[in-house]
Amino acid sequence: MRSVRLVKIKKSFKDGTVIPDVSLNMPAGKFFALLGPSGCGKTTLLRLIAGLEKADSGTIFLGDLDITDWPIHKRPINIVFQNYALFPHLNVFDNVAYSLKLEKLPKSIIKQKVLKILEAFHLENHIYKRVTELSGGQQQRVALARAIVNEPDVLLLDEPLAALDFKLREKMLIELIELQDKLKTTFLYVTHDQFEALTVADQMAIMNHHGEIEQVGTPKEIYEFPISSFVARFVGTTNIINGTLWNIDQEPEIEVSGLGRFKVDLPHKQKKEWMKEGCDAIMSIRPEKIYISKKEVPNFSNSLKGHVQSIVYHGRSTQYNILLKNQTRIQVFEQNEEHFPQEVIDYDHEVNLYWQKENAVILEK
Amino acid sequence: MKFSLSSRSPTSQLPFTFGAPALIWQVLFFYLPLVLIAISGFVKVTETGDILGMTFDHFLFFLRPLYLKVIFSSFLLAFSNTLLCLAIAYPLAYFLAFTGKRYSNLFLFLLIVPFWTNFLLHVYAWFFVLDKDGFLNLLLQNLGLVQNPTSMLNTPFAILIMMVYYYLPYMVLPLYSSLEKMDVRLIEASFDLGATWLQTFRRIMLPLTKRGLKAGFFLVFIPSFGEFAIPELMGGDKQMFVGTVVSDYILGEETGALGAAFTVLALIFMLITAGILYWVIERLIPGKTHG
Repeated sequence: MRSVRLVKIKKSFKDGTVIPDVSLNMPAGKFFALLGPSGCGKTTLLRLIAGLEKADSGTIFLGDLDITDWPIHKRPINIVFQNYALFPHLNVFDNVAYSLKLEKLPKSIIKQKVLKILEAFHLENHIYKRVTELSGGQQQRVALARAIVNEPDVLLLDEPLAALDFKLREKMLIELIELQDKLKTTFLYVTHDQFEALTVADQMAIMNHHGEIEQVGTPKEIYEFPISSFVARFVGTTNIINGTLWNIDQEPEIEVSGLGRFKVDLPHKQKKEWMKEGCDAIMSIRPEKIYISKKEVPNFSNSLKGHVQSIVYHGRSTQYNILLKNQTRIQVFEQNEEHFPQEVIDYDHEVNLYWQKENAVILEK
Repeated sequence: MKFSLSSRSPTSQLPFTFGAPALIWQVLFFYLPLVLIAISGFVKVTETGDILGMTFDHFLFFLRPLYLKVIFSSFLLAFSNTLLCLAIAYPLAYFLAFTGKRYSNLFLFLLIVPFWTNFLLHVYAWFFVLDKDGFLNLLLQNLGLVQNPTSMLNTPFAILIMMVYYYLPYMVLPLYSSLEKMDVRLIEASFDLGATWLQTFRRIMLPLTKRGLKAGFFLVFIPSFGEFAIPELMGGDKQMFVGTVVSDYILGEETGALGAAFTVLALIFMLITAGILYWVIERLIPGKTHG
């Protein structure tokens, strides 16, 4: 169990810079997720840590060790590849035993270790099958077993569940969390799927299209207090409303043209350097933070009128798309708490939208 | 998948339909003549062409150290040629399949270009290279490696270098097609799990390219065992090989039956050696056949 620390890592390929300058700390024994859009360079970062690529500059620390120049096979770091990269000429047992055989451990110990881990992964009935005979989920388990059997300090997972269907993916996510809990190995999980990242991570980092880290924090911090409109948009769904910021030092408000003024809280009640009287700003409100009703409801800091444009029924929640007076649209999610809601909201109804000022986030435009 | 095609489905009939012309060709022009040659090795004929009966004399004639040595030197030549081709072709095929992937078509083209020019031209070109005041001697002299230039023509070295030159593409192409199908991430996974280059080569790359390796090995080994033109042209007449003996006897006056017998003997020897080599390769390279 060791931490991974990247210091000023830079990497370019022939067709351009992939990692402009990244410093990142992945704490020891934690489940760390790196979330970013496709092609943003997150896989490159993972390959740099594994040693499959060499950084142009910067340092990689494993705990206190500088491993920047260590060859791949010397690094106590293993990868679970996106397509699993199982050895097709070897059976399940020999795939998992691969690293142990290289260590030249006694046969009896290898057998004992491999059988133990295969049992833990519910693969005991497939020991001598060829890996090509296994289902996607089973191959995934073999890849995991192969990568942890020699007890690496760090396990890198490169979009490991991308090839699985939704149900299986949910199940594997829970298994991964429990596995990490048991092993206490440092996990780095790279994905473009915010659902996966939010589910597994103790800590996560958001990478933007340019290979820069936008924000690092717990999933909750990142979801509730995104630091930029990129993070707000990329993680979860949100409504972005452009406006002008006023009254910053007393009771801050945002003025939106055609809609009026709304009370807001500054993020963590702190005034940021960019905030000036009358400057442009963005208000981000998550759809589930808005309450929708046709009645007048007291005790909300903000309210707004709109017309229902369309309704999408999701099962556990209903999504309303509302057209505001200034012709912008916003989304609202309501939990479907009852079979027969008291208030029926239908297409083209006029509705009131309510939210508390602390549930909106003010961001730099 | 494998068993889903019923015997009546039209696709299952196709292989035979398409394969028939080639099969008929092979039978008519290869297997049938081979059988005829084998038979003629057993037949005793008078000077006027009357058949006297069956005999083993033609075969017994060759069971002498001289001819066994001929067979053995042919084996040695074919085997060393094959190993050299393999040693050169594997890194080359690896380069084509991975490192130089962008230019692989160009490189493959360059590899095949020599086949477009006449074989004899190649031989004469090599004469110029290997001669006493040829290119190679000049190079060695300039590098200070050799004081007194000697002609390398008509030596086993000349034969071997021409053989490797000529047979190399037959080794590269099947290896390339095997390596190209291999997922690079398998190599990466092997390194990642702690394997060195050598371990990755032995445990991952060799087994996964076994099919291409075997194809290349026997595509080179079998024809070079019976190779006639190259030893004849590059080696002078200092040493005899299977091809030389066969041609001498088949073309010689009234020695056709002997030639036929020797052909059969050499063929049997080659089949046995090829079988042994096949077995050795299977044993040396772990894993089931892939790629």
